[in-house]
Amino acid sequence: MLPENHIPGAYAGENQINCRIHDGPCSRSLSGLEVTLDISPKPVKAMQDLVFKVSLAGEGPDQAPYIDLGMPGMKMGPNRVILEKISRTVYEGKGVIVRCPSGRRTWQATVTVPGKGKADFIFDVIY
Amino acid sequence: MLSIDALYLIFFTTGFTVGFGHCIGMCGPLVVSFSLNLKGKNIFISHAFYNAGRILTYAVLGGLMGVAGSFTAVSAKIVGLQQGALIATGVLIVVMGLAMNEWLPFGKYFRRENHTGGIFVRGFNKLSAIKSTYAYFPIGLLLGLLPCGPVYTALIAAAGTGIGSPNALYGFLSGAGLMVAFGLGTVPALILVAKLAGLGWLTSRRLIYRIGSVLMILAGVVYIVRGIRS
Repeated sequence: MLPENHIPGAYAGENQINCRIHDGPCSRSLSGLEVTLDISPKPVKAMQDLVFKVSLAGEGPDQAPYIDLGMPGMKMGPNRVILEKISRTVYEGKGVIVRCPSGRRTWQATVTVPGKGKADFIFDVIY
Repeated sequence: MLSIDALYLIFFTTGFTVGFGHCIGMCGPLVVSFSLNLKGKNIFISHAFYNAGRILTYAVLGGLMGVAGSFTAVSAKIVGLQQGALIATGVLIVVMGLAMNEWLPFGKYFRRENHTGGIFVRGFNKLSAIKSTYAYFPIGLLLGLLPCGPVYTALIAAAGTGIGSPNALYGFLSGAGLMVAFGLGTVPALILVAKLAGLGWLTSRRLIYRIGSVLMILAGVVYIVRGIRS
């Protein structure tokens, strides 16, 4: 069962947003694994310290997942959030989403689960 | 955990790649304005000074991030400076655009040879007549403060180098070094744009200067609006 705020990729709007991160965690399926991303505090604002939490349902990986932050269609440089294991299926790490002076607010968090693949979460942040 | 050397290489490469994409889009109008304003003279040296100033500012910011070990702590303190830099850049470009074709408002007043004028008039005259090669170094220092996504990303990494540093000096040097590597990576793209806009290859320059002036004024207004809204 997907969370209420999950927007299936097939129905994503023109700007590709597939997650309403301000409302709560979002989930994506990945090779038999359900990957859930949550970011706090909410609402999710740029230029502040954020906590990224990834929960996995299914057979977990041997290595911790990590998150790469970027903007769809725009190179912003490598901004990786290193996650640490909090419990058997939950990982957490700190990171910052920066402000783009162009005014674009749509960001992408790509969760890489070693040995399983990548899940993209595309959402708007507040500037 | 990546070594500092590997991070320098990664961020030099990042600077190089974003230079040919993001930087040309965001800073291109600025660099083109400088080249048009120079009207083909000393373009390479002037832009070298501009880039040196810009990279020095990056280095200081990176050093501060490295000492603090926190991106958000430092960025919160410089947000006002960045807003000011954005507005100042817009004003600079507008004045250059106006001056290039002698479209300065109240032109006779400003060009009066013997006027003693106030600070405003003297400042306006200096801004509109930036032809000195060395003047581009302090301009670079100021414009290194311009808010920019990839610069922020590099500064996050610079702050990261400071976490766990044995002392403040090491934190400063490692953060500054990373930003120098990033800044150097962005130089080729901006120099290339500067040279292409230098108009040395054009035979009929008058029309280009006219069009360039209008575009510079529009670009300057965009910078000012962004500065006010940010």
